[in-house]
Amino acid sequence: MPRTPNAVDFWRGYALVSIFVNHIPGIYFERFTHRNVSFSDSAELFVFLAGWSLGYLVGGSDAPKSTPRLMLRLGSRAFQIYAAQILISSLAIATLASAAFLLDNPLILEWHNAAAVFLDPALTHIGLVLLTHQLGYFDILPLYVVLMVVAAPLVALIYRFGRPLLVPLSLAIYLAALIVPITVPTWPVPGQWFFNPLAWQVLFVLGFALSRPDGIGDFVQRHINVIRLVALPITALSAAVALFSLFPDPTIFPEPKLLFLNGKTFLTPVRLLQFLALAAVMSVTYVYIARGVPWLVAFLALLGRNSLNVFCVASVLSLLGQIVRYLYSRSFGVDTVIVVVGIALLWLTAWVSEWRQQRASG
Amino acid sequence: MEAATSKRLTTAAGVALIFSAALSLAAWAQATTGQATTGEATSGQAATGQGNTGPGDTDFPPLAKECGEANATTMALPNSARALAKDKKLKILAIGASSASILGGMRDGNPPLLEQLLERTIAGLDVEIVNRGVSGELAGDAAKRLKVEVALNQPDVVLWQVGTNDAFAQVPVEEFQETVGEMVRWLKEHNTDVILVGLHYMKNLAKDAHYQAMRASLQHIANVENVPRIGRYEAMEILSRTLRENGRRDPGEFGSTESAYDCMARYVARVIAVGLFAKPPKKPASH
Repeated sequence: MPRTPNAVDFWRGYALVSIFVNHIPGIYFERFTHRNVSFSDSAELFVFLAGWSLGYLVGGSDAPKSTPRLMLRLGSRAFQIYAAQILISSLAIATLASAAFLLDNPLILEWHNAAAVFLDPALTHIGLVLLTHQLGYFDILPLYVVLMVVAAPLVALIYRFGRPLLVPLSLAIYLAALIVPITVPTWPVPGQWFFNPLAWQVLFVLGFALSRPDGIGDFVQRHINVIRLVALPITALSAAVALFSLFPDPTIFPEPKLLFLNGKTFLTPVRLLQFLALAAVMSVTYVYIARGVPWLVAFLALLGRNSLNVFCVASVLSLLGQIVRYLYSRSFGVDTVIVVVGIALLWLTAWVSEWRQQRASG
Repeated sequence: MEAATSKRLTTAAGVALIFSAALSLAAWAQATTGQATTGEATSGQAATGQGNTGPGDTDFPPLAKECGEANATTMALPNSARALAKDKKLKILAIGASSASILGGMRDGNPPLLEQLLERTIAGLDVEIVNRGVSGELAGDAAKRLKVEVALNQPDVVLWQVGTNDAFAQVPVEEFQETVGEMVRWLKEHNTDVILVGLHYMKNLAKDAHYQAMRASLQHIANVENVPRIGRYEAMEILSRTLRENGRRDPGEFGSTESAYDCMARYVARVIAVGLFAKPPKKPASH
């Protein structure tokens, strides 16, 4: 039996729908996603909840007691995510190539950083497999893979053998990445990872640490009401700044600038703090949403429980949505059909995934 | 302005509906460069009208015969020229869609063709290209990121490839014009040269009204703000015709876009080289 709806699955489902919509640039419904009133967006929520889920995997009641078995379980999960990334990248490349042929428009071959795949296939395919070449809007899973391959085992080991070091060590790596700054290069097309893993690991680790009933997680749970009182004005102020583009000119900040800028690649402190404040404020709403709109909670939790499958389908559907929008001129009707059909297919993906799991478990 | 205000208000209303409980609280200074008075110059005029030791007219990055003539407005790049005079270095920030299409082929791990061409043309010049292109990105998102990238990298010149994604995503023309115009003014105020690289060419887009309106809009911005624009559409149209006349494949056809990319890199190199040695604009006489 699938687990009953809970806040983590609900918010993860929300993040998946939001990512699906935001990955169709220009779509009408993009304006209703929370990134318009926030420095952070669903990517932060997705990574934070990935860290939170790692908490269940490492410290939950059914977590393997032996460390080697735990490493094996983490490695298996990382491989699953890696395989998903390779699959959706291949599907995206084939989708772009098909659209370019069928619509007689080779420009589509250049969408989403795909040009190198067609112009320099030998090196770019190596880059795709090594995750050093990422298609635009297909760049969250590579971050997730790195977090699961490198960060997750380290988090698990430190949590088991040197718990107090976990958050300080993560913060130290984060600050070093921002101050130096340390970028992660792409190849063969020179550039940098859109999501810098050295910076984003901090949110993954914080998600993990806050999910645990001890340490920082215990502290936050005990003082959540005070934290929400502090977080509320931060959330409101950042909403106003984001909505009315009031963020100061980034060139006025002193070095190291990344400590003050609002940048997604490095998950700069202003984004990180705003996300944590938003999470603290919004976490209180789950109980009321569950009470007032139970069907919505059941629906989004279903998506959240099957997040990897839903994420993969959402990524490909976003790309198809872009092609449909290109084919049919801008209209509210077309955008509505794309979103409604897309969300329905996400639901179908989640439903089929659970149906298969139930059949497999007899 | 109205389009943007209306969009923001719609955004506010929509978000308030969704998060009504928690989030309802949300409620040119002309740069010293004098670009505004810069006139257009042909490469010949540019090369002869300055005191710098620049390349002669015939020494500018060569265009392959099939590339035709670049349909590009060429004008002085005063901030880049200062960087060249100071320490023979030029930092180029490339932003926008597919980077390969303006930097040229990057085969076998070699530096981009644009870098090779500029370093070959101007003796002793050290070119650094910071590639921050994000494919599929719309002008609005690129503009936000561009400010951060300028603050972090302090480039001398920004190569902004813009318009195609917005046209495909059906972004309203007024919104696009406001976004790009505002960003170009911001760059000028921050002593950063900007070269706009226009929309792609596709034969079957010739009758697409929205696509053509976006092209015209970018041309308008370049004219009003007096910044160089590379008319990629027009250039590729010429290239396409030349190739067809010679019985070769259209650059828009599969497998032949590479030659189009190299042509684009040559156009960009030429606009930069000309801009570096173009005669500085005459300052209006003070009264």
